[in-house]
Amino acid sequence: MPNRLELSGITKQFPGVLANDHVSFAVKPGEIHALLGENGAGKSTLVKMIYGIMQPDGGEIRWNGEPVVVPNPKAARRLGIGMVFQHFSLFEALTVLENIALGMDAKIPSRELEARIREVMQTYGLLLDPHRTVATLSVGERQRIEIVRALLLNPKLLIMDEPTSVLTPQEVDQLFTVLRQLASEGCSILYISHKLHEIKALCDTATILRGGKLVDTCDPKAETSRSMAEKMIGTGLKDIIKPEGRRFGEPKLVVNGLTTRKTGDFDVPVADVSFTVRSGEILGIAGVAGNGQNALLDALSGELKGEEREAISIDGRAIGLMDTTERRRHGLCAVPEERNGHAAVGDFSLSDNSVLTARDRLGMVVLGLINSGAAKTYTGKVIADFAVKALGPAATAGSLSGGNLQKYIMGREILQKPTVLVVSQPTWGVDAGAAAAIHQALVDLATAGSAIVVISQDLDELRALSDTLAVINMGRLSASRPIGDFSVEEIGLLMGGVHGEEAA
Amino acid sequence: MMQFRLEKRREPSRFMLYATPVAAVALTMIIGAVIFSVIGYDGIGAVREIFLTPLTNSFKWQDLGVKAAPLIIIGVGLSIAYRANVWNIGAEGQYIMGGLAATWVALASHGAGGWWTLPAMMLAGMAGGAAYGAIPALLKTRLNVNEILTSLMLTYASVQLIYYLVRAPWKDPMGMGFPQTRRFASEALLPNIFPGTIVHAGVPIAIIVALIAWFIMSRSVFGYQMRVVGAAPHAARYGGFSENKTIWLAMLVSGGLAGLAGMLEVAGPFQRMVPGFPTNYGFTAIIVAFLGRLNPLGVIFAGIVMAITFVGGEVAQTTIGLSNSATGVFQAMMLFFLLAGDILVRYRLKRVVPQVEAGA
Amino acid sequence: MTLELAIAIIVTVVGASTPILIAALGELVVEKSGVLNLGVEGMMLVGAITGFVVVFTTGNHYLAILLAAGAGVATSMIFGFLTLSLSANQTATGLALTIFGTGFSALAGQGYSARPVTLLGPLFPSELATHPIWRVLFGYSALVYFSFAMVLAVWWFLKKTRAGLILRAVGENDHSAHSIGYSVVAVRYGAVAFGGAMAGIAGACFPLLLTPQWAERMTAGRGWIAVALVVFASWKPFRLLAGAYLFGLVMTMELYAKAGGGPLSAIPAELWAAMPYLATVVVLVLISIRRDASSNAPACLGRPFLPSN
Repeated sequence: MPNRLELSGITKQFPGVLANDHVSFAVKPGEIHALLGENGAGKSTLVKMIYGIMQPDGGEIRWNGEPVVVPNPKAARRLGIGMVFQHFSLFEALTVLENIALGMDAKIPSRELEARIREVMQTYGLLLDPHRTVATLSVGERQRIEIVRALLLNPKLLIMDEPTSVLTPQEVDQLFTVLRQLASEGCSILYISHKLHEIKALCDTATILRGGKLVDTCDPKAETSRSMAEKMIGTGLKDIIKPEGRRFGEPKLVVNGLTTRKTGDFDVPVADVSFTVRSGEILGIAGVAGNGQNALLDALSGELKGEEREAISIDGRAIGLMDTTERRRHGLCAVPEERNGHAAVGDFSLSDNSVLTARDRLGMVVLGLINSGAAKTYTGKVIADFAVKALGPAATAGSLSGGNLQKYIMGREILQKPTVLVVSQPTWGVDAGAAAAIHQALVDLATAGSAIVVISQDLDELRALSDTLAVINMGRLSASRPIGDFSVEEIGLLMGGVHGEEAA
Repeated sequence: MMQFRLEKRREPSRFMLYATPVAAVALTMIIGAVIFSVIGYDGIGAVREIFLTPLTNSFKWQDLGVKAAPLIIIGVGLSIAYRANVWNIGAEGQYIMGGLAATWVALASHGAGGWWTLPAMMLAGMAGGAAYGAIPALLKTRLNVNEILTSLMLTYASVQLIYYLVRAPWKDPMGMGFPQTRRFASEALLPNIFPGTIVHAGVPIAIIVALIAWFIMSRSVFGYQMRVVGAAPHAARYGGFSENKTIWLAMLVSGGLAGLAGMLEVAGPFQRMVPGFPTNYGFTAIIVAFLGRLNPLGVIFAGIVMAITFVGGEVAQTTIGLSNSATGVFQAMMLFFLLAGDILVRYRLKRVVPQVEAGA
Repeated sequence: MTLELAIAIIVTVVGASTPILIAALGELVVEKSGVLNLGVEGMMLVGAITGFVVVFTTGNHYLAILLAAGAGVATSMIFGFLTLSLSANQTATGLALTIFGTGFSALAGQGYSARPVTLLGPLFPSELATHPIWRVLFGYSALVYFSFAMVLAVWWFLKKTRAGLILRAVGENDHSAHSIGYSVVAVRYGAVAFGGAMAGIAGACFPLLLTPQWAERMTAGRGWIAVALVVFASWKPFRLLAGAYLFGLVMTMELYAKAGGGPLSAIPAELWAAMPYLATVVVLVLISIRRDASSNAPACLGRPFLPSN
């Protein structure tokens, strides 16, 4: 039996980057094949070429033994290739049925399509109401639409791009059941991830990419997580250095009964959130995306107008009614999740980006005029201290890679020596080297006496970084406890909305 | 066959940013000549009269200054607003309201004026324009009503207000039935800065306005606020800049400057309010702002270029009988070429060698 | 009010509403695909002068409508090329298109002013419209029936057809539509061309349906009102019908006031002339007070799209 899919010597060149450098591997029928690699290793580019979104500059794709050219996604689907994207290609204002109809190449009467959808949902236990508007669905439910859409075409190869990054552990288990069922029916699965334990649990074979090159194709069950991680990252893993015998000081940030209003149709507000962070402490806030993390960050930074003075205080001073600028003056700095367009302005120079948040704390403004010399000097210091790869303070933020931009943003806030630092997804989409540097900088800041809140969806990150942990679900925050007191199962249950008292 | 593909630049090209407006003017002259020849006009003659005669004929220079002044003042205001992503396209209406407010001061103080009349008219003009700009600002910030539509609709309404005022309450009783106000008293008229010419005090004021605006936009927190709200509103909020406050500032500044231009026009060239006061300066200034790259210094040059086409359009009308409206076509072409060239600031054209079809 | 007068008013309202309705229907489809074309006024003027010149030289009204639509499409393609192929700023390009249309139509129309043509006659034979009541139903030209048919057609297209679904999807999330394999740019070109054709026909309504002559800027801001109406109608064709007739009514009141129409003339004529524009502002305010109005807007409206390759 020929291989379902065989790549040989696939090469793709982008300006300045060789995204794929002669990559070759094969996927057998019914095999669950992992494509493993860091962000920027070239996984997404590779599958986009298989699915016909991009064209390779060189190399050959064979499908069931025959060489093929896949000019566009339609052609890929005709061959029997389905894909579930990491960023769902869904239309919020349209219904589930309309969304699925859009993904079908043939025109099928909507009644017949609905019957087929219900059949697929029944077979795989993917339950959804076809007439609901996508905007009202949870992230897990949205993923189900994508999967149903792909399955309706009876694919012979299903590509899953980072499917679990937005799911709770329980939803991940359900997904794995569906994927195993599909594989047993002969459908091959190309599973893209950088989560090692998932790959060990699910996949038959793993192909590891690093910097666009194929490093190894191996059996994940025969490898340890550490050995795979080293192949993925290259240089030996660096651990976070936390000084021994750290002690926490006085409460720095006290949040008491913080509640926000609903701002948009799809935003989850926070309700009655309370927690305390002490000097030297790193509090991690875990949760599935879209459970109120954005509202929490905006309410803490001051971007979302507060309504109660006493809801937030720093060093015993109530700041709940202050705006962002005043809060920064009082020592509260924040870094939102979205780098380009929120934490930084892509079209502005790094120097001008420093003016955005550091102008008051570092005296860059005199009589309403900007002291551009001071901004430039400070930016130069950030670039040097945080090893930001940039042409200098005059380089635009948009010209930096994601990891370097994040290092710049973190450096810009950390060097202001904030009393309290709130960060969201500090290493999202950042390569391992930059992530390690950012983690270390956060620990060092805490050691120097600041209080830090880290909001993240990456449990591994939180377990490595935080001293105490709380879980956010539907805008409500669990009580915070020392990190060692939690088991993964317990965090998973909390993330899925099952609270201690209900579970008991 | 040669094929080209767009490739994103790592950094936006500063060269292209400033080269494209120049190229747009040059292309307009070349392609304009070709198109006008094709459709049966004297294309080369038209381009020569519209773009070159105003420069080579020194008698036209004073016309250039007088026409450029309001375009520059309004264009500077619009360039500030557009930087902040506030789409005030009702500058014509704000210009009219500024002119009307100044007219009111001139008429009310007729016979009782003094040294203070012109400054009072100037303040009234700016206040009138700013107040008319405040309506879209209020509706935008309070109710999220699109400022493009409101500012434009208010322009159409303001034209009717002139008609009403000059036909009824402000009509000159000695005007032999013409719908216009009386001529302003001498202390309500702008002095000429060069005796024997028509160059009035509005011309140096325009240059000063542009220079001050340039300094403020490039050096001050106000300028930073305008730029950051326009470039990334979310980031601006994170940095502590209120979007609503910015919309207000942008509308008030651009409205106020349009009002100032209205005052300078009515107290300068017009010397009274007439139904023909709306001369489309407010709309042409939109092109001026873009052609000047939303940079006040660039606006000076763009204002002069646009004034050239106005003066040249009049020349072409008398010398080769080309309709005045040809000027509008040339101006629009200039803007089209500029917008088309914009993509070269962020992207570069790259030649790609067509590949032999893989697997063929 | 006599029956005759009431019928005369109705007929005038229908006439005033028709061009706005046609132009707004075109813009609605354009905006549903995620594109904001502010050049409606300019395209209408190009349609108006084309329609006038054709009917002046050939006397054939239907040919005039057809060529006006073609001229509208041609003008809209300038906008399409700049914003879709070169991803230029849509607001600025739309404004430029209006400036262009104004200048071009004035240039092309010089020498034609004050030259009369004939209006397009009623579609149905006059026997059907002898009685005043029948005139209300059967007394209009083909353009009026066309505008009603297009309301239904646009509604049916967007709601019931697969092509309409794809168009809505492109306006809702261009990147998703692209990743599924639809050509965002091609869909939008189609929508922009349709908008251009409708604006061209709407412009032709002025010399063919309302005043049988050419005058510079004869569309007098109706294109902008059409753009505002799309917002007012929350991107729904039948609400657009209601909105266009509301404006037709306001404009008809202006005409009657100018003609010395009884109590209406107590208000200065200039205020009546300003009424459609002030009414637009009021309507925009009212619609935004209802909070759900903007949530129906296509999510990608006005955002340039450039596929990464």
